[in-house]
Amino acid sequence: MSDGKSLPSAGNTIALLRRFWTFAATHKRWLFLGLSMIPLVVAMSTLRPLMVKYAVDELIPASDIIGLRLLSLGFMVAIMAEFLCQAAQVYALQRAGHTTISDVRRKVFDHVIHLPNSFFDKNALGSLLTRTTSDVEALSETLSFGVFMIISDVVMILSILAAMLWLSPWLTLITLTVAPVLFILVRYVGAVLRRLQLEVRKAQAAQTGFLAEQLAGITVVQLFGREKAAHDEYQRLGQRYLSATKTANWFDALLYAVMDGISAFSVALLIYFAAPSVLTEGGAITLGLLFAFVDYLQRIFIPVKEFSGKLATIQRAAASLERIYGLLDEPTEPIVEDGEPNPLDGWSGGLSVRDLEFAYSEGGPDVLRGLSFDVKPGEVIAVVGRTGSGKSSLGRVLTQFYTGYRGSIQMGEPGSDALELRDVKPRHVRKHLLMVQQDVFLFQDSVAYNICLGESDISGDPQRMMNALELVQARRLIDERGGLEFEVGERGGNLSQGETQLLAFARVAAREPTLLILDEATASVDSITEQKVQQAIEKLLEQRTVLVIAHRLSTVRRADKIMVLRKGEIAEMGSHDELMAKNGLYAELYTMGFEEEEPEQADGAEGTAPDFASP
Amino acid sequence: MGSIRRFLSRYVVPNLPWYGLGFVMLFATNWVIVRIPAIIGEALTILEQQGPNALVGTRSLALELVFLGGLVIVVRSLSRILFFNPGRQVEYRVGVDVFGHLLSLQRPFYMRRKVGELVSIASNDTTSVRLLVGFAALQVCNVAVAIPLHLYQMAVTDLTLTLWCLIPVIFGAIYMQAIVRAFFGMVRESMQMLAGVSDRILEIYSGIGTVRSHAAEAAAFERFDAKNREYLDLQLRIARVRAFSMPVLGFSGLVGTGIVLWVGSLRVVEDGMPVGNLATFTALLMSLVGNLTALAWVLAAVSRGVVSWGRIDTLLETPPELPDERSRLDLDSPPKIELRNLTFHYPDGDEPALCDIDITVNPGKTLGIFGKTGSGKTTLVDVLTRVHTPPESSVFIDGVDTRDVPLSDFRDAMAVVPQAPFLFSTTLRENVRLEGANPYKAARDPQERKGADGDERLHEVLDAACLWDDVEQLPKGLETVVGERGVMLSGGQRQRAALARALYRSKPLLLLDDILSAVDQGTEARMVGAIRQLRGGVGGLAPTTIIVSHRTSVLEHADEIVVLEGGRIVERGTHDELVAAGGEYAQTHEHQGGEGA
Repeated sequence: MSDGKSLPSAGNTIALLRRFWTFAATHKRWLFLGLSMIPLVVAMSTLRPLMVKYAVDELIPASDIIGLRLLSLGFMVAIMAEFLCQAAQVYALQRAGHTTISDVRRKVFDHVIHLPNSFFDKNALGSLLTRTTSDVEALSETLSFGVFMIISDVVMILSILAAMLWLSPWLTLITLTVAPVLFILVRYVGAVLRRLQLEVRKAQAAQTGFLAEQLAGITVVQLFGREKAAHDEYQRLGQRYLSATKTANWFDALLYAVMDGISAFSVALLIYFAAPSVLTEGGAITLGLLFAFVDYLQRIFIPVKEFSGKLATIQRAAASLERIYGLLDEPTEPIVEDGEPNPLDGWSGGLSVRDLEFAYSEGGPDVLRGLSFDVKPGEVIAVVGRTGSGKSSLGRVLTQFYTGYRGSIQMGEPGSDALELRDVKPRHVRKHLLMVQQDVFLFQDSVAYNICLGESDISGDPQRMMNALELVQARRLIDERGGLEFEVGERGGNLSQGETQLLAFARVAAREPTLLILDEATASVDSITEQKVQQAIEKLLEQRTVLVIAHRLSTVRRADKIMVLRKGEIAEMGSHDELMAKNGLYAELYTMGFEEEEPEQADGAEGTAPDFASP
Repeated sequence: MGSIRRFLSRYVVPNLPWYGLGFVMLFATNWVIVRIPAIIGEALTILEQQGPNALVGTRSLALELVFLGGLVIVVRSLSRILFFNPGRQVEYRVGVDVFGHLLSLQRPFYMRRKVGELVSIASNDTTSVRLLVGFAALQVCNVAVAIPLHLYQMAVTDLTLTLWCLIPVIFGAIYMQAIVRAFFGMVRESMQMLAGVSDRILEIYSGIGTVRSHAAEAAAFERFDAKNREYLDLQLRIARVRAFSMPVLGFSGLVGTGIVLWVGSLRVVEDGMPVGNLATFTALLMSLVGNLTALAWVLAAVSRGVVSWGRIDTLLETPPELPDERSRLDLDSPPKIELRNLTFHYPDGDEPALCDIDITVNPGKTLGIFGKTGSGKTTLVDVLTRVHTPPESSVFIDGVDTRDVPLSDFRDAMAVVPQAPFLFSTTLRENVRLEGANPYKAARDPQERKGADGDERLHEVLDAACLWDDVEQLPKGLETVVGERGVMLSGGQRQRAALARALYRSKPLLLLDDILSAVDQGTEARMVGAIRQLRGGVGGLAPTTIIVSHRTSVLEHADEIVVLEGGRIVERGTHDELVAAGGEYAQTHEHQGGEGA
């Protein structure tokens, strides 16, 4: 609740709305259609009482039956036209509003998925979700109702006022003497009501928040015998909400009822003051004029009541807009345009790393400290080391999950046409350099979707997916489950951990990356699946350039070269036998069975994350 | 129907006097509302007939209008308050009853239901019920009074005209009923769809690492946009209904006024009907249409309220499923814990989760439970703490079947640190003390408890839990708000805070469920030492302690260790005996760093 829900100033609001126009401009045709209907609707609705006036003043006294018939028909036509114009207005404006909102949501979403990883480290998913959903929805309310309703109400009031002044300035002034009273009342009661409603919302949020948290921690509440305390507290919060709403009800009821009273007062004034000057025939004030006034006076006050409420909606929307723009102003990773050639096409998979240094934050401690090594095409290199040695960080730097490394990472044969990693756009890099992370994420969709991830060049080719499953020895397993169309469930809940691993490998196999960075998972799976996973990894290592962050002895044995990291530096490098003979860090790690990494460290800035991260 | 009766007797009947008074106010309101157009019509007629000489006749009418205007403000305000405030009262009572009941329900219930769903019942459904007894009750009563009064006033003014102008309005009202129903269906669908869009967005944001490493951003966007477009389509359909169908009833009222003009003006000319009647009719008709519109909306509120109440009632009628209380429990020294042939099934499980468990822990002794993930460790703790009710005659505390004692007595005797530590969004102090654990209260008056009696004790237990140094780093020390809405603590810190919470209580029975899983080895050693020391030092008597872990170093000092596998005890003995036996325990011990870690 503390994330800046204060309302922006009026000037700021206008600046925000102007910026917002860039979204709305795409749909301006509907917008203009809707707006152009407003004067028509208003004209028809102002005209109706004038028609009645004509009937009362001219046609009825003259007993002009034909004229009355014609006038009644005209009246019906005017009603019909008003209905149609109004429907068109509402539809066009809502359409413009909803499509604009939809565009905003698309834009926000697209922006978020292109934000750098460091942004996701700093921001809770919940608040990003709020930006993309509730904040956008708040705009919707304003766009579809608030702004245009105000315009239409104002035009209506002005038009009725004009008609009244034209008919009789004197009567208009007299009957509208109640207006200031109404205005002051609405302003005062409205202001009180807004304060109360704020309190109501706060009280409600407090109550719901408390409830949700107590239920989430129900075990603690019950184990520690806090039921009574929790119940009392909930009751106290409920009382706060109750008394706020009850007070609000008083003011709300008053505001609502005042409208009925006010129009009765104004009509009383009309009748009282008009009577002496009514001249039924040809005078300044006619009976028909009174008819028209009665009608106008019953309608002119109605919009006033909701005015302040609508203004508040706009202010809330401006606050949402401010938050949305705050997000949209965050710089994204370099975007790849459609059809932009990938400079890495044809890359052999070779890497040449020199003096690589890296820190997660500027001025923070280096987690990689002067690494230099080569990866030759087709080579399998195992990276081992303790937690915090920099293994995972290396993978994240190479895939440009984090930027800002020092030193050089040359892609390709050293010399002529090698590219420096930082000069290549992240998406181009990741098309060729694929990292499989420890924690596999599955989408709530079919096996097929989880292999292709929606990419049409793979999804259009089931054979390719089957081959990929075959390669990682998962085809039988998946077939038993029901094939490519099998639904994996929420977060892959229908699959076992081992199967989830295999599916992640199939994802890789279907993409055939030039260089694969494989962060072996340490999560325990049963021994049969473990065997399958091992076999799958071995298959993946065949005929491919791979940098594997290894936890399994079998994987390390299979590597051409082993790189042992300690505190961000290369402690040892060589083949298994060489390193064992050295009897150093590698030998120590080997005998301990490559002690697992804490799963919690899988994400975020390993080794550098402060114990207390601000939310 | 039983559920409706329960609702009426529990919540509505106590408010009946208010409703009765409200009904009287409603009648008065509507009487005034139909009188006002009639007076206006009369005044216009007098003006027409008497011209400038009408002053005498109209002055009294004008004064009457002012009086009625004032009256309507009072009676209408009161009628709304008299209906709405009891509605709020009911909302409050239902909410409190629901929460109270939820607190009494046990784990088997929470395994079946999601927290989000329960929160929605306690908040959204109570709101629907409030609308039912407040807004809906008001509108139904209002319409019941208003429609007859309007029709009566119209009929006494001019019966023929009444019949004529009602024709379009009746059709409009029927159409509106159908549309409102369809409209609510669409609105419900759109809320579900919006939830679907949110789920998609959250899913992709959570899996952003995967999307990114496979360079599948474009496809991810398409995955989101498919739902987004679907939602937009529905919104546009709703907009169509809103634009073209919803105003039909109002439009039919306008058509009615057109008929008033057509038929009425002829009657004025031919039958000498007073011309003021035209104004009376127009105003009455518009007011009637307003009432009919409200009726259409209200019927939807009624059906929603009834469905919501159904959900609430089902929840309130769910029994807590606690065994009968047969004896009390009041411990003043560490108890003896016995498990006799404990076999436990989950409500929906075929295989027993625990099988033939036989353990005795003597007063003040420590039992270690060792096992891998899925071996039944946590189930055993849950049964010991009665999070799951154990079967009869299988768990005894000082010779009494734990089933037979009131849950509150039983829980009062123990301090438990569950496996997944839960911190409330309140200060660290409140989280350890756990008085009301209310974030909002703590945030408001941080001074209230500062320096209170327990601070020395707090310091002691936080030290024992190896959290004191961390506390000193926190921006506001013990007053720092932690949990979801505050400073995020690391997994290890959360575990240590939960441990401090249990130690703070110094109960005769202490259960620690795998609490050191997220702490590094060095801290672990310090904590084990501290727990041992604290047990020996505080209050003289060491509590009977049960420690669960998958790390042998934590269990080393236990008086007995049982090794669980597949819900059965496969090995038992002291640490040294088990290491010597060379089984699963010994292997793990060696793997985890061997001798004297």
